[in-house]
Amino acid sequence: MSEMTLKLSVWRQENAADAGKMVDYTLPGVSEHMSFLEMLDVLNEKIIAEGGDPIEFDNDCREGICGMCSLVINGIAHGPEKRTATCQLHMRHFKDGDHITIEPFRAEGFPVIRDLTVDRSSFDRIIAAGGYVSVNTGNAPDANAVPVSKEAADKAMDAAACIGCGACVAACPNASAALFVGAKISQYALQPQGDPERARRAQRMVDQMDAEGFGACSNHAECEAVCPKGISIMNIARMRREYLKAIIS
Amino acid sequence: MPKKEGDNRAPGQIPENERDYYLERRYPSFGNLVPRDVASRNAKYVCDEGRGVGDTKLAVYLDFADAIKRLGEDTIRDRYGNLFEMYQRITADDPYKVPMRIYPAVHYTMGGLWVDYNLMSTIPGLFVLGEANFSDHGANRLGASALMQGLADGYFVIPYTIGDYLASADLPKTSTEDAAFQTSENEIRDMTAKLLGIKGKKTVTEFHRELGMVMWDKVGMSRTKEGLEEAVGRIKELRKEFWENVRVPGNPSQLNKNLEFAGRVADFMELGELMARDALERNESCGGHFREEYQSAEGEAVRDDEQFTHVAAWEFTGAEQTPKRHTEALAFENVKLTQRSYK
Amino acid sequence: MAASTSVSNAFRSTIVKKILMSLTGLGLVIFVLGHLIGNLSLLFGPEPFNLYSHKLMSLGPLLWVIEIGLVAFFLIHAWNGISVSRHNRRSRPVRYAKTGDAGGPSKKSLSSVSMIFTGIILLVFLVIHVATFKYGAYYTTVIDGVEMRDLYKLVYQKFHDPLYVFGYTGVMILLGFHLRHGFWSAFQSLGTNHPRYSGPIYTIGVVLAIVLAIGFIAIPLYTYFN
Repeated sequence: MSEMTLKLSVWRQENAADAGKMVDYTLPGVSEHMSFLEMLDVLNEKIIAEGGDPIEFDNDCREGICGMCSLVINGIAHGPEKRTATCQLHMRHFKDGDHITIEPFRAEGFPVIRDLTVDRSSFDRIIAAGGYVSVNTGNAPDANAVPVSKEAADKAMDAAACIGCGACVAACPNASAALFVGAKISQYALQPQGDPERARRAQRMVDQMDAEGFGACSNHAECEAVCPKGISIMNIARMRREYLKAIIS
Repeated sequence: MPKKEGDNRAPGQIPENERDYYLERRYPSFGNLVPRDVASRNAKYVCDEGRGVGDTKLAVYLDFADAIKRLGEDTIRDRYGNLFEMYQRITADDPYKVPMRIYPAVHYTMGGLWVDYNLMSTIPGLFVLGEANFSDHGANRLGASALMQGLADGYFVIPYTIGDYLASADLPKTSTEDAAFQTSENEIRDMTAKLLGIKGKKTVTEFHRELGMVMWDKVGMSRTKEGLEEAVGRIKELRKEFWENVRVPGNPSQLNKNLEFAGRVADFMELGELMARDALERNESCGGHFREEYQSAEGEAVRDDEQFTHVAAWEFTGAEQTPKRHTEALAFENVKLTQRSYK
Repeated sequence: MAASTSVSNAFRSTIVKKILMSLTGLGLVIFVLGHLIGNLSLLFGPEPFNLYSHKLMSLGPLLWVIEIGLVAFFLIHAWNGISVSRHNRRSRPVRYAKTGDAGGPSKKSLSSVSMIFTGIILLVFLVIHVATFKYGAYYTTVIDGVEMRDLYKLVYQKFHDPLYVFGYTGVMILLGFHLRHGFWSAFQSLGTNHPRYSGPIYTIGVVLAIVLAIGFIAIPLYTYFN
């Protein structure tokens, strides 16, 4: 097992009101088998042992499926590996002596809470604005009562793979949430279950996205490149069609 | 597995006659399709024998070579593509080419809060759904059973019962001025101050890992009376040490995940001890609970239906007090209790 | 379900702003393309070019309609562009200390991140350009007995001023950059993304950007060096 020593520049910020700054750390004994978050765990243990306050960063499942982990690593959301969330990024992709810059996701819609932790509740409010379907109460409907074509189901599934991490916003030069909102609108727009609220959903979710202060999409497609689930910007185009249909109907 | 202990050859270099397909050997008719509890227990046994593979020696091989030969790589990719991708991210090994190294991991506690038929807990109005309740468990708890319970509770039960509760219960408005709220708030404040005030030498992570090791070794897939008694004692000591020597950094007025983690590890220590106690009381092997004293000559779980056809629910009687065991008899109307066999 | 938001509200949406920019942008591409084809007559000497410009100027009311339309397109495009760009700037109040490119399916490029800059320079250029030629010195000439404006003479003069020629060349390179991202981006903003057609549209955008830039650069350079 090869071990490396890393130089880390990490964004430290007491709270939302604090200006914050980059702080440098040197971390020896990093195993190539560690995930990026495990490496930060080791750094935090070291900081605590030295009497400091650990670096706050979001994480939960560490299996790449919950969407809690974030971080902009050397300028790239979720780091250098394609279709990989930070928790699934392993240190073997770095080498001894590397200098790694770690920053929080930056956007007006994602205010920093502390250090590398940002408040992503704006996404929850976008979902609350329209990311649901109405279901009649009473007996549960029979399975397969509503036919969905394989093609539509596959496309909806691809859109529904979004874990809501917000890397799209972090990577976008405009801090736009278009890929997230596009994916969420698409997963319902592609299936008959989403039809009753279809127009209202597109409109409300887009309006909420704008109200949260996210930027406009300029089609840089950087979002698709950093998305841990590789969600296509085709979903952004679909969002625009849905929105257009909604306002002219 | 290699037959010999300390065989460090790459899996591809081990000739067929020097391999031990231990599941196929022990369970000829089911082979590696035995249920997960059986597969997990056996994986641990062979690693405990010192025959584990990889850097950590805590792994057995899962080889898809034959399956890929039989069904083609595309079929396997279709079925397990996402899992293989996850595996490759973690290990940098390509499971389409190299056998996977696998080892059982704690995933779930197989238990939960007691609920009534309507999924309401002992606290009126507090409904507990899915994995958080105690109601649906077998020898295994993954994928299908978790989904089944999620659907059953969320789709078929709760839409009826919670509506009925809301419609029929008297729900007076309460405010944060309520005495109960004040009490809880003060308790939390006190505990927070206590945790931050200890300023000991060991981090929360260190305690978490020590506790995890005890649970893994003594209260895991395979348990014994001695081991469980040892675990109860060890957790008690650990808990004592925790409240004297933990180091929780930061302050209570800002985001402080270490503080949150400390509170959770404190809970884990109570839950861990309770699990050990429960396992100690249940003198049989049943489902996910396997007591080495209660097994057949073939290593299968031996139940004691006379004594234990019941659910045990433990009542919290106060911190550092021995909890009280309640039982709720299990009645089977449509199925007969039988012994399973994968031979 | 009927739309709940009013039309005026919709015009504040970033999506509608981008749609307006796309429609006007594509309209302007057609104009620029036509402009280039017309201008190519400059390469064949004074007579063809003056005849062509005379014909344009004789369109009368139709010319007015076209000119007003063009001004409207430019204004809508620029107004929304500036508005969206300001909105985007506010969307990331704290910048990254280190920025990187994720590569892969990303279409982020120098051209895509500089749209507002190339756009503003093009807008300034446009004003100067119109002032220079449309409202510049009025020379006259007679072709086949018809008296008409000798626009060629003015162009010839300007295209022999090194400052103007190289300034013009520089701006046309920026036009190429603007179109390289702008063309395919317009289709994406209009919601047309299709697995079969999006690739070709992207390629057409790149080709169009190069052709237009080279075309517009070729004319002053040819004139200057002859």
